[in-house]
Order: sequence, then structure tokens, then C-alpha cells
Amino acid sequence: MKVEEVKVCILIIEGTNCEEETSQAFRRSGASPEIVHLKQLLGQDTRPEETRKLGDYQILVIPGGFSSGDYVRAGAILAARIKSRMEGALVEFIEEGKPVLGICNGFQILVELGVLPGIQSTMSRYPTASLGWNDSGRFECRPTLLENWNKGKCIFTSMLERGQIIQAPTAHAEGKFMLPKHREKELLDTLKDNDQIVFRYVDAEGQIAGYPWNPNGSLFSIAGICNSEGNVFGMMPHPERTYFGFQQADWTRNVPDNGDGKAVFESVLDYVAKKF
Amino acid sequence: MEEFSSEIRFVSLLDASDADLIRLSDEGGLALDIAEMKRVQEYYRRRGRDPTDVELQSIGQAWSEHCCYKSSKVFLKEYLMSIDTPSVILRGDAGVVDFDEDHAYALRIESHNHPSAVEPYGGAATGIGGIIRDVLCMGAQPVALIDPLHFGPLDFPHEELPKGVKHPRYLFEGVVAGIRDYGNRIGIPTVSGSVCFHEGYLGNCIINVGCVGIAKKKNVLKNAVKTDSDVFILVGGRTGRDGIHGVTYASVELTEDMEEEWMGGAVQLGDPITKEPLIHACLEAAERGFLSGMKDLGGGGLSCVVGEMALAGGFGAEVNLEKVPLKEEGLQPWEIWISESQERMMLAVPPEKVDEVLHLFKLYDVLATRVGHVIRDKIVRVLYEGKKILELDLDFYTAGPEYCREYLYDAQSLGKPEAIPEEPEDYNQTILKLISSPNIASKAWVIHQYDHEVRGATVVKPLQGKMGYACHGDAAVIKPLEHTFRGLAIATATNPTFSEIDPFRGGMSAVDEACRNIVAVGGFPDSLTNCLNFGNPEKPDRLGLFRETVRGIGHVAAHLGLPLPSGNVSFYNETEHSHVPPTPVVLGVGKVPDVRRCVTSDLKEQDNPIFLIGETKNEMGGSEYLRIFGGHSGTVPNVNVETLEKSLHAVSRAINEETVASCHDVSHGGIAIAISEMALGGDVGAFVDLSKTGTIPTSVKMFSESNTRWLVEVWRGKEDKFLEIVSDVPTRKLGMVKGSSVIIADSNIKAGIFLEDLSEAWKRTIYDFMGGTP
Repeated sequence: MKVEEVKVCILIIEGTNCEEETSQAFRRSGASPEIVHLKQLLGQDTRPEETRKLGDYQILVIPGGFSSGDYVRAGAILAARIKSRMEGALVEFIEEGKPVLGICNGFQILVELGVLPGIQSTMSRYPTASLGWNDSGRFECRPTLLENWNKGKCIFTSMLERGQIIQAPTAHAEGKFMLPKHREKELLDTLKDNDQIVFRYVDAEGQIAGYPWNPNGSLFSIAGICNSEGNVFGMMPHPERTYFGFQQADWTRNVPDNGDGKAVFESVLDYVAKKF
Repeated sequence: MEEFSSEIRFVSLLDASDADLIRLSDEGGLALDIAEMKRVQEYYRRRGRDPTDVELQSIGQAWSEHCCYKSSKVFLKEYLMSIDTPSVILRGDAGVVDFDEDHAYALRIESHNHPSAVEPYGGAATGIGGIIRDVLCMGAQPVALIDPLHFGPLDFPHEELPKGVKHPRYLFEGVVAGIRDYGNRIGIPTVSGSVCFHEGYLGNCIINVGCVGIAKKKNVLKNAVKTDSDVFILVGGRTGRDGIHGVTYASVELTEDMEEEWMGGAVQLGDPITKEPLIHACLEAAERGFLSGMKDLGGGGLSCVVGEMALAGGFGAEVNLEKVPLKEEGLQPWEIWISESQERMMLAVPPEKVDEVLHLFKLYDVLATRVGHVIRDKIVRVLYEGKKILELDLDFYTAGPEYCREYLYDAQSLGKPEAIPEEPEDYNQTILKLISSPNIASKAWVIHQYDHEVRGATVVKPLQGKMGYACHGDAAVIKPLEHTFRGLAIATATNPTFSEIDPFRGGMSAVDEACRNIVAVGGFPDSLTNCLNFGNPEKPDRLGLFRETVRGIGHVAAHLGLPLPSGNVSFYNETEHSHVPPTPVVLGVGKVPDVRRCVTSDLKEQDNPIFLIGETKNEMGGSEYLRIFGGHSGTVPNVNVETLEKSLHAVSRAINEETVASCHDVSHGGIAIAISEMALGGDVGAFVDLSKTGTIPTSVKMFSESNTRWLVEVWRGKEDKFLEIVSDVPTRKLGMVKGSSVIIADSNIKAGIFLEDLSEAWKRTIYDFMGGTP
């Protein structure tokens, strides 16, 4: 299909707040994004012309924000609402090979849903990873550098070279990627073997480094992972905030033609255009 | 005509003595003085009946200092509101100013001082909530938040704290957390602000919150009803007992025992997750043409919003109070009427759009309730379960008193003997001490806690420079619209240490600094708004300081043709122990022709020449240098409005014609600190020689905070073009970008500090007080 025919569902509920810029990123890359309230997918309080079906879209995006305030635990409430009312539709969407992207709060939700890391099944009954409180104990907004560590499985980074370093800011309180302590090594090895690790935090020299380059203390400096099929992807940093060169933290020093985050959106659209 | 409810309580006013009137005002928490109470009594004598308790409460709200600006209006009218330009589209809860052919921006700043002093987290959070609503109700999408904060010294000894006063560290931590948790959750970036520490803020912290928004001109709304058939729809949060008497409390001095009462009600509770969809729903309703007008419920709650919206449209209003959704049962009608519960907006909706509006809000899970309608008579009538409990003539009700209170200003502080410390023996140590002082040191601890990037439109960010080395910038730049590279430059300024010595010059300096911050990134000043924080206006010397300040702001703004389409005054910032220094906070908004030509403050490239624009003068009054090393001067930096105007044009042109690599305004700590910050941000050294900057002592050359100055790094090869552009303003070449230390000479070398040492001194201070790792 043509890129302009690709319909992107940007899913929101109260407290989602990065939907506009995420939608713009897809629109700039030529696709047809639509901001869709969860209630439109569930048909709650909607008129017929406002009701939507997940299956009518080719890409599902859960953008950043503080869905339902993140008061329980980041992403927990929206994940529970999705799981209770549309688990089947979501599993079907993923198993058709359609891409799902979670940015920041969206990543937290995908982990809560159990579709990430998604090692053995499309959606695990319980979460197998967690995005915990930053080591600093505080919300942190700062520019971060990410190394593309993926060997080719993730359909969201196909336009990046392996080892390429990109810039995207983080803005979260709960972004520390963690695995259960008693299975940490085993699961981490599986993620590596399956080529599920996508982005790792690095310093200006491209080396793995501590705080603040790794802003939250993530295990193995993990900033983003995909499922074992490569079509579900979550990352804590915000690629939509570096779509243009002049959005990058140091653009007045090194003026890039394009922002680094653009590649994420172009990669997935390229995949969908070819596959469907 | 409806009868008054039999359950309503009438207050015996007609025959009350003066003593009774004062007692009634005190007991009801009305904060009205004897003359005002007599005016109320007079009105009811004409009506031939006693007031209901709801009516008295309403008048107390409407006539409070907070709502009707009774002590300040006379000066604001004379010096600020008189500045008018065709670019101003609307003056309402926020000012609305022309942006491009189809768009306008909205701006406003206000205080949340009293609530923050008592409950810093909730006070600051609801401050953000309130300022967002002020911009939203003009039909504008909020795009940036700005927070100038003022506290007592972080190292103030606990044992010396006056009773009832909370420690500055506690207040600082709580206020920043409140702004963070509210601003981040609603998804509006906090892009600019300032933090100032001063003994005068010990008893009263000054928490100002500003917001800038963007709107399609066709969606800009008045805070008014349009026709006599409009329906009032209350949207957003439920109404509760939180925030009762907020405005009347904000209109008196804080005392020790008021604290308990505040905790019981006068501080509102914030709920960002009601606010976030409320913003979407209100903007969508405006975009789809459903609304006649919109206004936020802030101070005074329903009692203020209904009457003001109706009267502004030339009509009256009738309200059915029992329809208002409540947080808890058992609220008295008067409590519902004046509650300041958060996250509420009032919509005026034509009858044929009511169903559309109710459906839209339901989809967003935001409460929307029809609570009343417009009537032709200019009265406000409130019914509770069908029975009348209030009926007031709007002309009387909303015509709050306006005073020209006694004011007194003698320039006594200017005459105090000058006491200038001897020249430092070791300039390195002096610079390191200055750069590590809390007022100058890195504010990264604060900045990183705010999401300054959400909405993806923050082009020039609060921290600027090489990755891992970024340092303070002068202004933030937002690109508010997808289709254009035009931007908004946003900066704040306040100089309480200038203002406490010379309020006129302090007011002028705040405008100068806001403007020079805006041009330093490549913008040009377009409009201003201000929040004026002062002590008790009933004391003539406090009011004298206020008048001088307003005169200073107006003098510069009028010359530059900069309108102030909105503004806020906060009086009574005093306790029995102390009063705040005059604190005029100026928020400036500038237009940027193309955000891709903006510059930042970090030095860019070895061997680029560095220039000083502007004159350094022996004006050490109020400088950080004298504050830290002791001494006094009555000579506060002055502003020459002609030079300022020429310089703003010159710097702006030099940047937009791409001759400038980096630019930084010279302010706190003078040239020595400005060049150090530029070097830190670029992670590269500099050599500057100040010998040609006048026949003044080296310490003055280094640390004077004279206005209208910038340090400019010019691209090699663009020097001639730059000099041609700035030819009619004082410009001197000082040195160049060089090496890995900052070296300052005055004929011979006076200071030389490695970047690592500067960085260590600059970045640690606030973290050392507040915890965490830089």
C-alpha cells in the first residue's frame, strides 16, 4: 500500500499528552494518523460516526503522557482498561504483524500489558519486565544519546545502521528497565539472543556510561526493546521530539539536516507500505 | 418574581452600628473595611431590606483586593494600561496579541504566593492550574509555562525561623514538586523562569506562574456572554469546600494562626487529570464554534464568574445553584457560590449548541452541567431549589471600590553612605564565590524536573550548549505552529535587589532585562505582562514603592511601544516579621522571524572574536557582588531608553543576519559571570580584556550589572558585517574564544580559571542543598 494510505491509530485517554506531536511526526512522513480516544474503540458514549475499530488501522501508537495520572503505577490503569475490554482485538492486531509503538508512557503500558518483552507469547498474562522509578527518585527531563543495538529484527529502526547513535530526549520518573532479579541473567540473555534489545543509552563518546547519560539506571542501559517478532516496540525517550534538526538539544552547534528521531517513523512506514 | 427562600439567613445590616459592621465583616471573613461596609449598608437601605448571607459573601469576594485591584488600579491605569498598540486584540483573563495573519498568542502571569507559603505543593500546583485556565478561556492552546520563584536563603538556620514560617528548603522542594507534577501531567512544557533567594522572602515566598498560548484568531473568545438566550454550562471538576475564602485571605497579611484555617479550606486541591481532558474539550468546543464565550473559575468562584461574564455582554444572569455538581454533600449555598475548587470553566453556549457541548464533554469524561442562563435585566439572581437566595444589581456588585490610597516615597535609601569593599586580592576566588552563589549557580536541579520538551515545540531550551555541558540561556523559543518557522521567544526578569534600593530603576531594569533576554536568542520584544508582588498597600510607604515601580516599568515600556495587555498585582506579602522587597516580575514575549536562525549562549568555536555591546558603568547598587562581599551603593543600574531601543534593534539584526555564533545578556555577576557561563556551555575557554571598558575599578568592570549589555561571539569572517550592523551602539572587541580556561585581563591578567573548576563551583550549589547528583 502507499504510505499516504497507512492509517495510524494514536490512542489516548485522559492524561495522554504527547498525541499531537506524535501524530504530526507520522503526518510529516506522509501517513494518515488519527487521534482516537479509547472510548471510540470501545463504543462508549460515542455516536456511530465517532466509533472506530482497531482493525481498520495498520499501526497502533500509544503516545507519551500520564495516562489516568499514573497514580497507581505508570501505565497500569490504561493497560488494565485495554486488557479488560479489547485484549482479543489487540492480540489479533499484533499477530497480523501490524506494528505497535509505545513511547514513554506508551512503553510503560506495553510492558504492563505483557506485549513487551513478549518473549514466549504475544501477550503474557502477567508483566515479565518493569519500568521502575529512576535511580534519582525524581522525574528527569534531559537530552539522551541512544545507540541502535538492533541487528535487524526491529521494524522501527531499519533505517538506522547498527551502532548508529541518535539523540532523543527523555522525560519520565519511571523509566528504569528491570527484569525479575531471580531470572535477570536468563531473560537478558534471551533478549540479546532474540535481537530484542533496540536502543541503549550511551555518552557523547558512544560509550556505555552511568548517570546522567543513563538517566534512570536501566539494566544494561536499555532504552528501548521490541518483542520477539520485532513488530511491537517500546522506548522511553521521545523520537517525536527530535523529528527536525532544530529540535535537538545542541542544534545551534551541530546543525543536522534532519532530526534523529525521524528514522523511527520512516522505518515503520516503509515496513507497512511494503508488507500490506 | 421568586420569593426569597424561607431557609435563607438574612443579616441585620440596616440598623447596624459602625462596630457591628466591623464585626460582621470579621465574622464573615469578608475583609471589607468600614467605609466599604457602609457603602453596602447604604445600598441595602435603598433596597429597603437586609442582605442575605450569600449576598454579603458575594460582595466580599467581588470587592476584594484580589478581584477588583482597588488599591492598584489608579497607578496601573496611569502608567501601564495606557500603552496601546494595534497588535493587541483583546484584554481579558489573558492578553491576546497578533502573531500572524490567522493566529494570535495569549499571555498572562499571576501570583500564587499566599497558598504556596502555607502548602507549597498544592499552592504551586493550583497556581499552574489557574494560569492555564486564564489562557485557555481566551480560546488559546497553552504552549509554555514560566515560573519565577523567590524564597528565603536556603542556609537559613532552623532555630532562627520565626514561628509559623516554613523553611525555604521545604518551600523550594514543595513548590518545584507542585509545578512539576501538575505541569508535566497536563503536558504543557515549563520552559522558562528564575529562582531568587533573599532574606526578604523568608516569611513570604513569591511564587509567580506565567503561561503563553496560541490561538486561531477566529477562535479567540471574550470572557462574556453574547446574547440574552445564552446558557451557562459549568464544566470540569466538582465543587467542594476546598478554596473557600482564598481571595479574601489573599487580601490580608498572613499571620501565624491563619495557618490552621488555611489548611481547613483556603488552599485548593489540584487535579491535573481532570484538567488535561478539560483543555482538549474546551478547545475543541471553541474550534467547532459551539461557544459564545468562556471564562475560568478562579478567585471568588461562581460568584465572580457569572456576574462578570453576564455584565461584559451587557446582560444579567440567573443561576440554579442546586445543579452544581458537588464533591460532598451538605455544602451551604453560599459555600457553593464562592468555592474556588479547581479545574472548572464556565461556558456561555447558544441554546442550539447545548446538546453538542454536553456530548463532546461526555466523550472526554469531563462533567458538563447546565447551571443557569442569561437574563435581560442587569442583575444576578441565584436560586437554590427554586427559591431565591441572592439578587444583586450587577452595576453595584461588580463596581468594586477604587482608591487612590495615601502613598509615600522618599528616596532615603539612595542617600545612605556608599560603602564599597576594597578591590579583591584574588579575582579567581571572587569569581568562584559569585558563580557558586545560589542566585547565580546552576538551576539544573529545578530545570530537569520540569518537562520542557513536551509538545515537541521547544526549539531553544532552558539549558543550552554542548551535550553534557549545557548552561543557562537567556530566553526559551517555542515554535507554536506546524506550518510556519515563526517563533515566540519567552523570558522573565526581576531585580528585587535593585528595586529595594531604587524601585523606579528596579522597574525599568526588569523591562530592560526581559527585552535583552529576548533579543539575545534572536527574537524581538513584542509585548509584556507583569506580576507585581508587594507588601500591604494600606501602608503608605509600601504603596509608594509600588507606584515608583509601576512608573519605572511604564517609562521603558511606553518608550519601546510595548503593550501590557494583562497583568496581576499581589499585595499583602508581609508578616509581622518582614515584608518582601518590591518584586516586579516582568514576562516578555518576543517574535522570532525564523526559529532556525536563533542563537544560544554557549561559545561555539576557537578563535571567534568576542564583543561587548553596551556600556559598563559604576552602578554597583543591588549587585550580587555587593550582596556577597558586603557594602552598599545607592546607585542602581539605570536605563537609557534611547540606547536600549537602538541596541535591541542592532543585536536582533546582527543575529538574524547570521553574524553571531553565540550571545548572552550581561546581568547577575556582570561580565565575569556572563563570559564564564558562555564558556561552560560551550566547554571551551575565552580570553577577554576589559581595559577599554572605562576608567573604573577592575571589580566594577567585572561585576557591575549595568543594563543594556550583551556579550556576543561573532563568526570569524563576519566581523565587518557585524560591526556595520551595530555601528550606532557602543560596541567593543574584548577578546576571543580560546583554550580551556576563562582568562580576564584589565591591561594585565587579573583572573584565569580552568573550566573544570568553574564548572564544579557552578553546578554543585543547589544540589548540595536539595540532594541529588549534578
